[in-house]
Amino acid sequence: MEKVALVGYKQTKHTFESPVARERIIYELVKSLYKDMGITKDDIDTFILASNDFTDGRTISEVFTVPRIGAYMKDETKVEADGLNAALYAYMRILSGLYNTALVIGFSMSGSEFRVPLTQAYTMDPAYERPRALINYYSAAALQAGAYMKKYRFTEEDLAALTVKNLENANNNPYSARKEPDASVDKVLGSKLLYTPIRQAHVSAYADGACAVVLSSKKMARKFTDKPVWIDGVGHLMDTYYIGDRDLLKMDSLAGAAKKAYKMAGIKNPRKEIDLAELHTNFASEEPVFTEAMGLFKPGSAKDVVKNGESRIGGSIPVNPSGGPLGANPVNATGLIRLAEASAQLRKEAGKNQIKGAKTAVVHAQDGPGAQSNTVFVIRR
Amino acid sequence: MTQETRTIESTWDLTAYQFKIEADALNLFIKGTKDKKILGRKCHQCGTVYVPGPTYCRKCLIDIDQVVEVSQEGVLDAFTVNLADVRGIPVENPFITCTVKLDGSDSFLMGTLEGWTEWHSVREGMRVKVVWKDTTSGALADLSHFQLI
Repeated sequence: MEKVALVGYKQTKHTFESPVARERIIYELVKSLYKDMGITKDDIDTFILASNDFTDGRTISEVFTVPRIGAYMKDETKVEADGLNAALYAYMRILSGLYNTALVIGFSMSGSEFRVPLTQAYTMDPAYERPRALINYYSAAALQAGAYMKKYRFTEEDLAALTVKNLENANNNPYSARKEPDASVDKVLGSKLLYTPIRQAHVSAYADGACAVVLSSKKMARKFTDKPVWIDGVGHLMDTYYIGDRDLLKMDSLAGAAKKAYKMAGIKNPRKEIDLAELHTNFASEEPVFTEAMGLFKPGSAKDVVKNGESRIGGSIPVNPSGGPLGANPVNATGLIRLAEASAQLRKEAGKNQIKGAKTAVVHAQDGPGAQSNTVFVIRR
Repeated sequence: MTQETRTIESTWDLTAYQFKIEADALNLFIKGTKDKKILGRKCHQCGTVYVPGPTYCRKCLIDIDQVVEVSQEGVLDAFTVNLADVRGIPVENPFITCTVKLDGSDSFLMGTLEGWTEWHSVREGMRVKVVWKDTTSGALADLSHFQLI
């Protein structure tokens, strides 16, 4: 099968309130990516934008945004999901043979323009969940976190230590919106309790920002870069939307997506073969559940993983060395940022958070309450 | 098994959103209308004149900032006679909405058309001119309508 490479990537410095409108954010980002790569919009065959009319607050929202990325009179489409799904779409378009290059962009004004928990609450099941307002994205994650902690004796202190690990990485990431140089277990434990066991400090940093990548067919890849990052495996699975029909701890859709991606990439033992993971966690408490569903750590081992620093930079499998969404979560761009950050690691461009000798990474994105839909990429240098 | 349906009452709180829009194009346009002028921006690379004028050229994907004033006369490009409202109810006094290409502009402005008595006699390509409100305040409504010349 033809191979597809990531040949360029760039993200904005994410903020809690952008001084400029979304159109300007993506225009500046894409122009600067083209400039870095020494290309123009004419080198791009298809443009794929990740946005969501609901979170964008207007319908067919890309009509206002695609001209800003160079798609005027060009082939464009939108994915109403995380940007990693837009990258999956771009990957398939290139595999179709009709396109050699694709620009993928995800953006959001989730820091300043809309209230994330409120808009998410409107997306709950209208027959069973919305009328009684019993559950939202936060409380769905809280149900999962509580169940995991009870089952595996993962304590509040353990969760706080895991949160601090991510915040420390975010502090060293120039693109993070959230900077907490004084992050500590005590500070996390002292933060506001929202839905037990989830505290404000565990919640990702909803932000304004964007991320763009350029994918290319194998035959064109070397024209753009001498450091292509190969997409060797992909998997995308969705679970039932209604939370009552899911086992929140088993995460079947994530486990299945990871399995598919590993199989495609020829990975037999992810714990040995994966050098780092960039995960789309909306809450710190999702990290143990996700990493275990993906086979990166043994089920129920989070207590030891945290204690032994296995998921830290320098550990056996660093998880979110970028700080992950706890540092910046511009909804719709977040999973795509994971791809950019993991690619930076493989290309040795990750600055202070660089992991030595990283060759293979796993990248994840989620959508839906309680991570109902999951996408996994395996990438290699 | 039945095929019954139910209707569930549901509301959206639209205060969940607040928008930040790019103001340059609108600001320039209404700054012009206040002085009874039509202002836009011209791309220094491809020469396209946009009215209203954004600060970038969508064809060249570059920043542009050359402010130009265009003519207040132009050509009736397309029009429709509004015989019904948005709910389909016939209107008492039919009116014409139209697009006009002002001389020197590559964009089309939208407005209402006056100066006709029998709508069957209106034709695309007729010359029109801008008619201003007596008092302008720096608003889109400063442009009262287009008048057949």
